[in-house]
Amino acid sequence: MTTASALARLLKPVTPLAPEMSIADVADRLLTPQHKAFLSLPIVDAAGRPLGLVSRSTLQDIFMQRFGRDLRGRHPVQEVMNPAPLVVSLDTSLEEAAKQITGQLHYPITEDFILVDGQGAYRGLGTVLDLLKAMEARIAQRNAVLRRALVELKESQTQLVQSEKMASLGQMVAGVAHELNTPLAYVKNNLQLLRELSAPLFELAEAQAALADCLADPGCDEARLASALDHAAKAREQAAPELLVDDLEQLFGDTLYGLEQIGELVVGLKDFARLDRAMSEEVDLNDCVRSALLIARNSIKDKAETVLQLGELPCIPCAPSQVNQVLLNLLTNAAQAIDGFGQIRVKTWAEEAAVFVSVQDNGRGMSAQVLARIFDPFFTTKPVGQGTGLGLSISFKIIQDHGGLIRVASEPGRGTRFLIRLPRPLAAELATALKRSA
Amino acid sequence: MTAPIRILFVDDEERILRSLALQFRRQYQVSTESDPRRALQRLQSEPVHILVSDQRMPQMSGAELLAQAREIAPQTLRILLTGYSDLDAAVEALNSGGIFRYLTKPWDQQEMAFTLRQAAEIAARQAQVEVLPSASLLAAPLNVLLLDDDPQTLAVVGDFCVAGGHRLSRAGNLAEALAVLNAQSVDLLVSDLKLAGEEVAPLLKTLAQAHPRLLSLVVTPFCDTQALLRLINEAQIFRYLPKPIRRGLFEKGLLAAAEQALLWRAQPAQVVGRLAQVPREERERERVGSLLGMLGRLRERLIA
Repeated sequence: MTTASALARLLKPVTPLAPEMSIADVADRLLTPQHKAFLSLPIVDAAGRPLGLVSRSTLQDIFMQRFGRDLRGRHPVQEVMNPAPLVVSLDTSLEEAAKQITGQLHYPITEDFILVDGQGAYRGLGTVLDLLKAMEARIAQRNAVLRRALVELKESQTQLVQSEKMASLGQMVAGVAHELNTPLAYVKNNLQLLRELSAPLFELAEAQAALADCLADPGCDEARLASALDHAAKAREQAAPELLVDDLEQLFGDTLYGLEQIGELVVGLKDFARLDRAMSEEVDLNDCVRSALLIARNSIKDKAETVLQLGELPCIPCAPSQVNQVLLNLLTNAAQAIDGFGQIRVKTWAEEAAVFVSVQDNGRGMSAQVLARIFDPFFTTKPVGQGTGLGLSISFKIIQDHGGLIRVASEPGRGTRFLIRLPRPLAAELATALKRSA
Repeated sequence: MTAPIRILFVDDEERILRSLALQFRRQYQVSTESDPRRALQRLQSEPVHILVSDQRMPQMSGAELLAQAREIAPQTLRILLTGYSDLDAAVEALNSGGIFRYLTKPWDQQEMAFTLRQAAEIAARQAQVEVLPSASLLAAPLNVLLLDDDPQTLAVVGDFCVAGGHRLSRAGNLAEALAVLNAQSVDLLVSDLKLAGEEVAPLLKTLAQAHPRLLSLVVTPFCDTQALLRLINEAQIFRYLPKPIRRGLFEKGLLAAAEQALLWRAQPAQVVGRLAQVPREERERERVGSLLGMLGRLRERLIA
């Protein structure tokens, strides 16, 4: 609809020429002001069908010859018209018309094009310049739409990256919450037990204090002393402090251990998030590995044993919270790739120009088709709703922004190995890379 | 009580085991294992009345352990004690492990003590009565009540009833269901959690109290872990099957329920290892109370 009317807007309802009109009359017509804008004029038969176009340049060629006008001025225009002009139907779209016209146009441009209706009857003329202008307007409009779409796309990408961040944060929080549950459970129970178990000790202390008072009091009679002795003996039997010693010792020990565990997890969480630190600094990647493992332990524990081979590493400048995110992603992916109980091997080492981390599992592995796509945004092998499909593409980007490389090798049935290479560059070089990523 | 009640705790964290052992060693004969494989060996060699297991352990999951324990020692009351609310684990522990309770970490001392006391009572009752063989009764027809208008559910339950010669009744709403339950003694109840817009959970919880021999199978598209935990603890449901239905699984569940119902029918009431927790939520407790009143006639008949 809109495109058809776009072509109609180009239509100039020029009065057509009859085929028998003389060349001289046509030349006069071309000189009139209302026809100045046209390169050519249409020739239409009695039924309204376009027969051809006669161009200004054709007439000029004739009149430039000696006696041209005298010799041929009286001839019908039909003799010199172009019998195969450009004819475009009004219901053609602007793009289609442009394609048709530019496809048939020859240099120099000497003619306009004829516009006809659906039945092929003449309706008017269109000029190439108007067509170009219309096309340009159309393209400008398209560009605006595209630009808007690009902005929207960028916004939604930011949102998705954010939601992936939230998802991994949520996973991390859930993991740590569960990890906290175990020590919390026994610490809580132990404290209640300690309260119960220590109650008889206070009674014993009280009974013994009463006995001591009795012994110290010269006025204390036999009966009272006997009762106090009996009372103290019973309290002692009840409390059985010698039997309690080991239990209490154990309870205190376990409780303290549990609290230390809880403390360690809280510190680990803080280390992992590193919310309080800047992007770039001297970081030991082994610390990142340990920190990510602490957070991931919960989702790994019942899936795999982890084997660590951490080599001595030089500190490198990087964004630890981002690197942690990558490592957590690789570790949880590895755990999820394992059916039954497997092994995850994490290895770090340094070479002259770079440090390396490899995360290897002996899980399901991936086919070549899957492998080719794993870094693509939104590609996921997990059921709908369980993965954003962004984890690895974000990991890829993070490592790339660090000037590093992330590689993967996998074999179905054997497992998968991810290798991260982070360069040991000049500080200045990395600072710019980080600024770009920020 | 003649023989002491034996409880086996399984958890990969030794400190949890020590804490639990210290809490319960005075009332029960407590043993602990940090490796579920050793726990299974122990079950083979000595009697255990109550088995309490953690869910996430390196060697095998708690649900797996309880499922295997059920094969080795079916009379043992099985309890899952976990820090995770994981729907799959809960479903597996119920459907394959036939758990008595699902408890969460950190546990409440009183609640844990209460749950173990309930389990111990059942265990003690079961120990006193001899379990009768029931093979001869396996062919007896059962009364099945269906509270779900899903044609797929009806198809499976209908086939099951025809094949086993069981009587099938249906109800379109809770009032109809109560009428059926009052008119006949229902053995198996197959139900969604919503019936004509009404919640069925309170009815299931009521039936668990009023009619411990009635087995309920829940088929539902809802997957809310917390709701499932309450159905396990407060309604003692027999199976939880997510919709869309997997026919094989559903049929297996129905057959197992029929077997269990026939077994229980033959036994004295003491053997029925079912004791539901009173609903924790007050509104639901009231609802169960009023439903219990409506089921009064049913109860009277059961006592008679």
